[in-house]
Amino acid sequence: MEANETHDVVVIGGGPAGLAAALGARRAGAGKVLLVERDRTLGGILNQCVHDGFGLFLYNETISGPEYAERLIDDVVREPIKVETGAMVLDITPERVLRVNARSGYRLVRAGAVVLAMGCRERTREMIEIPGTRPAGVFTAGSAQNLVNLQNLRIGNEAVILGSGDIGLIMARRLVFEGVAVKGVFEILSWASGLERNVRQCLMDFGIPLELRSTVVEIRGRDRVESVVVAKVDDKLMPIPGSEGVIPCDTLLLSVGLIPENELSKRAGVALSPFTGGAVVDERFMTSVSGVFSCGNVLHIHDVADWASFEGFAAGESAARYAAGERPAGATFRITAGPNVKYALPQLVTAGTAGVEWNFRVGRPLRNVQVVVTGKATEKVHARKKFGRLLPTELQKIKVRSAVEEDLEVSCHE
Amino acid sequence: MGEKKSAVYDVVVIGGGVVGCAILRELARYDLRLLLLEKEADLAEGISKGNSGVIHAGFNVPAESLKAKTNVTGLGMIYGLADELGVPHRKTGKLVVALADEDRSRLEELKAEGDKSGVPDLEIVDEAAIRRLEPLARGRWALYSPHTGIISPYEFTVALAECAGQNGAEALLEATVEAIVFRDGLFRLSTPKGTFAACRVVNSAGLFSDDVARLAGIDDYRVFPYRGEYLITDKDCGLRLNLPVYPVPPRDDPGLGIHITPTLEGNIILGPSAEPVDDKRDAASTRKIMTQLKAEAIRLMPELSRVSFIHSYAGIRPKLVDPSGKDKFGDFIVEESAFRPGWISLVGIESPGLTAAPAIAEMVAGMIGVKMDLRPKPEFKPERPRRTRFAHLGDDERAGRVACDADWGEMVCRCEHVTRAEVVAALRNPFGARTMDAVKRRTRCGMGRCQGGFCTPRIVEILRDEGLPADRITKRGGRSRLFCGRLKG
Amino acid sequence: MSDRPVLDRLTCVLCPVGCELEVRKDEAGELDVQGYQCDKGVPFAVEEILHPKRNLATSVPVRGTEAKMVSVRLSDRVPREMIFPVLAEIAKLRPEVPVRRGQVLITDVLGTGVDVIATRTVV
Repeated sequence: MEANETHDVVVIGGGPAGLAAALGARRAGAGKVLLVERDRTLGGILNQCVHDGFGLFLYNETISGPEYAERLIDDVVREPIKVETGAMVLDITPERVLRVNARSGYRLVRAGAVVLAMGCRERTREMIEIPGTRPAGVFTAGSAQNLVNLQNLRIGNEAVILGSGDIGLIMARRLVFEGVAVKGVFEILSWASGLERNVRQCLMDFGIPLELRSTVVEIRGRDRVESVVVAKVDDKLMPIPGSEGVIPCDTLLLSVGLIPENELSKRAGVALSPFTGGAVVDERFMTSVSGVFSCGNVLHIHDVADWASFEGFAAGESAARYAAGERPAGATFRITAGPNVKYALPQLVTAGTAGVEWNFRVGRPLRNVQVVVTGKATEKVHARKKFGRLLPTELQKIKVRSAVEEDLEVSCHE
Repeated sequence: MGEKKSAVYDVVVIGGGVVGCAILRELARYDLRLLLLEKEADLAEGISKGNSGVIHAGFNVPAESLKAKTNVTGLGMIYGLADELGVPHRKTGKLVVALADEDRSRLEELKAEGDKSGVPDLEIVDEAAIRRLEPLARGRWALYSPHTGIISPYEFTVALAECAGQNGAEALLEATVEAIVFRDGLFRLSTPKGTFAACRVVNSAGLFSDDVARLAGIDDYRVFPYRGEYLITDKDCGLRLNLPVYPVPPRDDPGLGIHITPTLEGNIILGPSAEPVDDKRDAASTRKIMTQLKAEAIRLMPELSRVSFIHSYAGIRPKLVDPSGKDKFGDFIVEESAFRPGWISLVGIESPGLTAAPAIAEMVAGMIGVKMDLRPKPEFKPERPRRTRFAHLGDDERAGRVACDADWGEMVCRCEHVTRAEVVAALRNPFGARTMDAVKRRTRCGMGRCQGGFCTPRIVEILRDEGLPADRITKRGGRSRLFCGRLKG
Repeated sequence: MSDRPVLDRLTCVLCPVGCELEVRKDEAGELDVQGYQCDKGVPFAVEEILHPKRNLATSVPVRGTEAKMVSVRLSDRVPREMIFPVLAEIAKLRPEVPVRRGQVLITDVLGTGVDVIATRTVV
C-alpha cells in the first residue's frame, strides 16, 4: 500500500497537548496540519474531568475540563486544520509514514513532521502486584471516572481508594456526590500525592480518612469485591506483618500512577527516558527521531493541563519549522538531574540556545530549597531560584537566560 | 447451532472445558442428539483457562499410565486438529534443563520413560545445543523434545465447541446440573435452564466431577483441588523466548515445577506453583507464591529480573492425590460406571489433559459405541474458519475490511489493536456468552498492558448497544456485576 | 504568638505563589493568620475556616440523545453545607438537546445566587 497523502504536520492525539500542538503548528505557518484523535470527540481526558481547576494559566480563570477542551477545540475548528476523530494511528515508521485506521477508511499517511501527544495510561493492580482474587469491582480511577461521568453508571456502593493522587481524590468526592460510600483513601508514601486543596475539598470535607504509609495487601471476594485487606508499610514500603485490617467494601479504585503511553513512539524508534517514561527531547521538543516531536503527558506526566498545552504550542511550532525545512545547527549538550531532582526536561539542548526553561520534579518534599543549574565541567551557576517548599507532585520550572555552552545539571539543596 | 430441541438426548456432556468440548465435537461426527451443559457463563471457565497452554509430548508421566497413552495419542492428533479448527498454535519444542551434571541422570530417566511411552524424537543435548535452541536458557544438559508446542487453551476449547455446534450439537451455558434422577432408563438432569433427559451422560466436570458423580449416586471419587499460580510478562518486555524451558523436575513435587513458557503473542508465563487448597473456588494469587515464582524463574533465567509483569492468575487442578502425600501419582480416570451403566466419568483430568483431549474424546466415543450404534454423518464438517484478527492483517487486507464494514475501523483495545468488529463478532457467539471475560478470551481485549483500563468503558458501551442493560454486565457471569445500575434516570 | 497551637494549615490557591498559611486563635479568640504575602491571604484563610465555600461538578443525562451526558458546574462557589441540597436539585435535571456550553440550567439554585451551568455543548 502506498502513502498517497502527505501533511506538513500530523499531530497524534487531540487532548490538551495535541489541540495546542495543532494550533501551534498552524500559527507558525504550517500549510497542511492533520490532527488525529482515536476517540469520537476531541478533548482527550479533559472530556471526563468535569471538575474545575483548569485554565488558570491559559485562560486566567478556573474552568472545568470540558470547557477548557471546547475553547481549544473552537480555536482549532476556526483554523484550516484537518481533524479526524475515531481515527487511530497504529504504527509510525522512522521515515514518518503513519498507518491510520478509522471508520472512514484505513490508509497510510506521510508527514513532514509528527507531534506525539497520545497522553498516558494508568498503572494497574497487576503492575503493583496486589495478591488476592480477581473479582469484578476493581477499577482504575480514570476508568471509573469515564464510567461515572460519561456513562452514568453506578460502579458500586462502598469503595476503598488506593493512592492519594489527584485522580483518586477527585473520584472520592465524585463518588460521595453520587451516594457511594468511600471508606478511606490509602497512600503508601508518608505524604499525599495530590494537591493539598484536593485533600481538603475531597476528603476532609466529607470525613473520608486518609491513611498514609498504608497499602492494600489483598483483594477478597469471589465474583465481586467483598473486602480488601490494608496494612501499614515500613520505610522500604513493605507491608508490616500484624498491621493488617480488613475493610468490607464492594469496590476498589486504584489511583497508583500514570504512565506515558509510548508504544507508538517505540515503533518509530524514539529513545525513551527511564526517569520520565517519555521521550528524550531537546529544547524544541524534538525526539531522537528526526522530525518527531513529543509533548504533554506522553512526554512526562503533568499535574496541570495548562502546562501540557503550553508544551503543545511549543512542540507544534517546532514541528512546523521542521516541516518548512529548518534544522538546528550546532552541538548538543546534555542536562542531567542532580541531587534531590527526579528528572529535568528537556534532556538535551542545542549549543548556543538562550532562555531555555527547564521543567523538573524533586524526588521528595523539600523545604527552604534552592534550585541551581550548574555547568558540569565549569561548575558555574547558570541559574538559581528559591522555593519555600517543593513537592514531588508539582512540576516546576527554572530558566537559564544565557546561551548554553556546556553540559548542565539541575539540583536542589535545602 | 442446531435449532431442534430434543426431548431426549442421546448423549449429554456435563462440563464445557477443553475435554468436554473435544468429546462433544467427536460425538458430533455421528448421528446423535447431543447437548453440553456448562455451569458457568462461558466455556473454558475452569482449569481449561488456568494453565500455561502447552502441548505436552508425554514424557513427564509414567509410561503405561492412561495419562501417557492419551497424551502420546493426543500429541499425534492435536496439531492437525488445531489446523482444522483454525486455532493458533506453534510446535516450539521444549527444553528440560539440568543445571548440574549430577541431574543428567534425571534427564535420562525422563527420556527412558518417554521412549517407553512412544514419545518421538527425544534427545539429550549439551550446553552448546541449549544455547542454540534457546539463548536465554542455561544448563549443562537438557532433554530436548522437538514435538512439544504451545496453543491457546481457551481458543481451542471454544473452537471445538463451535465446530460441534455447526454440526448440530447444542450447548447451554449457566446450566448447572443440580439434581440427577435415573428413571425409565434415562438420566434426567435438572438445571436452571430446564430438565434434560439423556440415554448416556459424560461427566467431564473437571474439578467438580466428583460432586456431579455423587448427584448420580456414584460416590467412588474424591477430587483434591491444587492451586497453581502464574505470572505473565508484558509482550514488550524485551525478552523473546523461543520455547518452554523447564527445570529438572524435583522428585517430590506434586506439580511440574516452576516453568517458563512463551505464549503465541510473545508474553512469557511463569508457573505454575502447586498448593493444596480447601476451597475448589479459591483461585486467589498470593504474595508468597508470586515472590517464589519470580525468585525461582530468575535463578533459571536471570534476564527475567528486569521484566515487568502485567498479570497474575491461578488455575485449580483436579488431583486424585491427596495432600497427605502417600501416593505420588494419580492417573486419569475415564470409566463407565458399573453401578450406573451409561454414565461415563472423567475424573482427575489435569495436565496433560489439554493435549490428551482429542484422544480422550475418541476413547469416550469408543465406549459409547460399544452399546450404541454410531452412524457417521456424511455431512460432518471438521473445519471451523479461523478468527480474523485485524492486528495480524496486512495493510491492503485491513483497508478492504474497513471499506466493507466500518466497525473494523474503530479501535476498541488500543494495547492489542482489537476493533469493534471483532468485539461484536465475539459477542454474537453461538453460545450466548456475553461477559467481559468472554470478550476478553475471544478477542484479547484487556490482555494488554493496561489490563482493560482503556477498553473496559468501550466494551461496556458496545454491550449496552447490543442490548445488555448496565446492571447485567458481568465480569464472568453470576454475581460478578460491574455496576449496580445507573446513577441518574 | 507562635507558641499558640495551630488550628489549621492551608496553602492559599489564589495565585501561583501558594503561600503556606497558619491559622491560630489569638488572646481575644479571633483568628490570626500568618504566612501571607499579599492582602488576599487573610480573608482567604478566614473564609475557609469559618464559612468554607465550594464549587461542585457532576453530569446529567440529556434528553433527546442516546444516553449522552452533559457535565455541569456552578457559576460560583456556594457555602459548603449547600453541596448536597444543590446536588439533589441538579439530579432532577433532564435538559433537552441541544445544550450549549455556558447555558444556565438552573438560575439562582436554592437561593444561593449561583447558577448551574452546562460545561459542554451537546448536540
